Amino acid sequence: MKIVKKFLALILMFALCMTIASGCRKKDDESSYDTATGEPIEITHWYWADTQQYSAKMQDIVKEFNQTNGKNIKVTAEEYPWDGGGYSETLFTAAMGGGGPDTASWKLTSTPLFVANNLLAVLDSYINGWKDKDDIDENLYQVMRDAGGSDNIYVMPWNTQVLYVYYRPSMFKDAGVSVPKTYQEFLEACRKLTRDTNGDGKVDVYGFGMRGAKGGQEPWGSFIYARGGDFSDFTTDKAVAGMQDFINLFKNGYVPPTAPTDGFNEIIANFKSGKTAMTIHHIGSSVGMVETLGDDVDAFPFPSGESQWTSMGDTENVIFEACDNKDAAFEWVAYLATGKGQEEWCKATGNVPVSKRVQAMPEFQNNKFMKVSIEGAPSAGIFPILDTTTEWINTIWPNTVAAALAGQKTAAAAMQDLQRGLYGG
Amino acid sequence: MRDKKAGIWPYLLVAPALLVVAAVVFVPVGNAVLMSFQSYDLRRPFAIGFIGAGNYSAVFKDTLFWQSVLRTVIWVVFGVGFQFVFGFCLALLLNRDFKGRGAARSVSLIPWVTPGVLIGLMWRWIYDGSYGVLNDILMKIGIIENPVPFLARQDTVFPAVIVTIIWQGIPFFALMLLAGLQGVPAELYEAADIDGANVFGKFFHITVPSLQNTIYVTTLLRIIWVANSVDVIYNMTGGGPAYASQTLSVYVFNKANALNLGYASAMSILLTLMLLLAAVPYLKTLFKIREG
Repeated sequence: MKIVKKFLALILMFALCMTIASGCRKKDDESSYDTATGEPIEITHWYWADTQQYSAKMQDIVKEFNQTNGKNIKVTAEEYPWDGGGYSETLFTAAMGGGGPDTASWKLTSTPLFVANNLLAVLDSYINGWKDKDDIDENLYQVMRDAGGSDNIYVMPWNTQVLYVYYRPSMFKDAGVSVPKTYQEFLEACRKLTRDTNGDGKVDVYGFGMRGAKGGQEPWGSFIYARGGDFSDFTTDKAVAGMQDFINLFKNGYVPPTAPTDGFNEIIANFKSGKTAMTIHHIGSSVGMVETLGDDVDAFPFPSGESQWTSMGDTENVIFEACDNKDAAFEWVAYLATGKGQEEWCKATGNVPVSKRVQAMPEFQNNKFMKVSIEGAPSAGIFPILDTTTEWINTIWPNTVAAALAGQKTAAAAMQDLQRGLYGG
Repeated sequence: MRDKKAGIWPYLLVAPALLVVAAVVFVPVGNAVLMSFQSYDLRRPFAIGFIGAGNYSAVFKDTLFWQSVLRTVIWVVFGVGFQFVFGFCLALLLNRDFKGRGAARSVSLIPWVTPGVLIGLMWRWIYDGSYGVLNDILMKIGIIENPVPFLARQDTVFPAVIVTIIWQGIPFFALMLLAGLQGVPAELYEAADIDGANVFGKFFHITVPSLQNTIYVTTLLRIIWVANSVDVIYNMTGGGPAYASQTLSVYVFNKANALNLGYASAMSILLTLMLLLAAVPYLKTLFKIREG
């Protein structure tokens, strides 16, 4: 009887050990396929979408790619929220933990971190042997190289978004304001458009929808450059003057009092509901704006002051080093860059295509928001891509600017903090 | 008496369970301690290495750390304190007989069973300075004239998140204290009635002493949970604006999100030590009460 008990106990212990071991086992054969057997080559792709329509469009693109690629490649697209940049952190955590996707939608600012941890595949050999290589401007490849901090390309271009100012023509007309041509006219427009429209003694329309939460550094950058400052040194008098303008808009009540915590959703909702007369975002919002406001929405590039700068929102795709089928993965990201995927995505979202063939299509040539994007492109740029940039964008910039808006820090002190946060010292 | 013949068998049989506990508890904690002595910043993976007490030294010089510590104390004292008071009131109410008591007990649990992330998002909209229902109500009843951007102002953001955590934690206290109340013998109250004790006398001399153990254990658990709570604050404010709602656990989370794991680990070890310092006297008192 004792022997039976011991035997049963041994079996139980063995089963427990096997259970633990199975949880720790690496699924090393999971994404390795032999196409000769007819098994599909599976690619997992991560992306974010700003609206439900864009989400559905991505799934349509994936479906069409799976049906038409002719190489038995099956992409599964998994959506994750952008979360003001939190997407990149989620992606990094997953990739470091060995649970990342094969390919993913991308922002250039994340490149140094992922490259430093050897997570991204080098794409030069794929791009050099690609028939559509010249359909994308060489300058864009150079931007991709610069982002990685080496001569290699880790990032495949997909689309760009140039920030510009959305405005409500009806409100401009009511307030007797013309489309600003200079930075001073823009500041003046913010003042004039802030109004009590129903005579109850309270402001109900604010001139400008300021973004003070994560992501707000992009429109903020335009103010710094308009005063002649730049991102190489935030502490110059000119850069501080730009910050002071930004603070004054809040202090004078030309932006909603919620501005310090307003993010993408809030500035768009405020603009659509008529609470703000102007706000800054890119062409990705244009479809939703037109759906809500019809003809009562238009756009102009952020006006020039002593200098001019607007943020070039970029969206790319990457292939991870851990991907077992990089050839198939490249087929997919190439389809998004110059193929039907590029055409469909840019038509649906209004983003600026990177493919010259798609740019030349009438749908893009006749779009007023696309025209403004193209008009702003010469002054478009990106933030310095350093290993501190992500923390600076997610934590340092919003908290420092909130303190400055609340009057706890002077413009100069805030700019010193921003300088330390990005460049150290 | 231990069965000498059993030999190694008992150890072998508990080994798998011990392995699991070691893997999910001791290894991560040990790893955090190790990382706290390293320059462990994933943004600079090639510079990872031991730096002694460098992280701790930097933490002690960090103004944001001390501000977060102070805010954590306020967060715990007011958060847990009001949860206890309101939870006790709710437990006393739910312990009485009234029509629909079962439904009331179920409904009162809703805040506790709602995920923290959802609570954060829900209250963010309630407090919203443009479209929030709280502003709407306060304006309709004439308390305020213009909407208050509760989460955008530094003087209102922290009280606002404290109210949220109070709302979330009331049912836990209510549930635990209700269970305790049901174990208090009715004879004690009957005897007190005969002696002519009033409501307050019965409450302070029968109810509270009978629930002493439950109160101690429940409060200790909530102190630890609330001090470590990240989800509600992070989803409502991310610790802002201008760090005005950043508790120590949120600061740790933000630093870890920024991939400075060495610095975040040092702060989390310090948070653990602070909680231990608070818990030990508390537990000692509890044991004394039990022994008494």
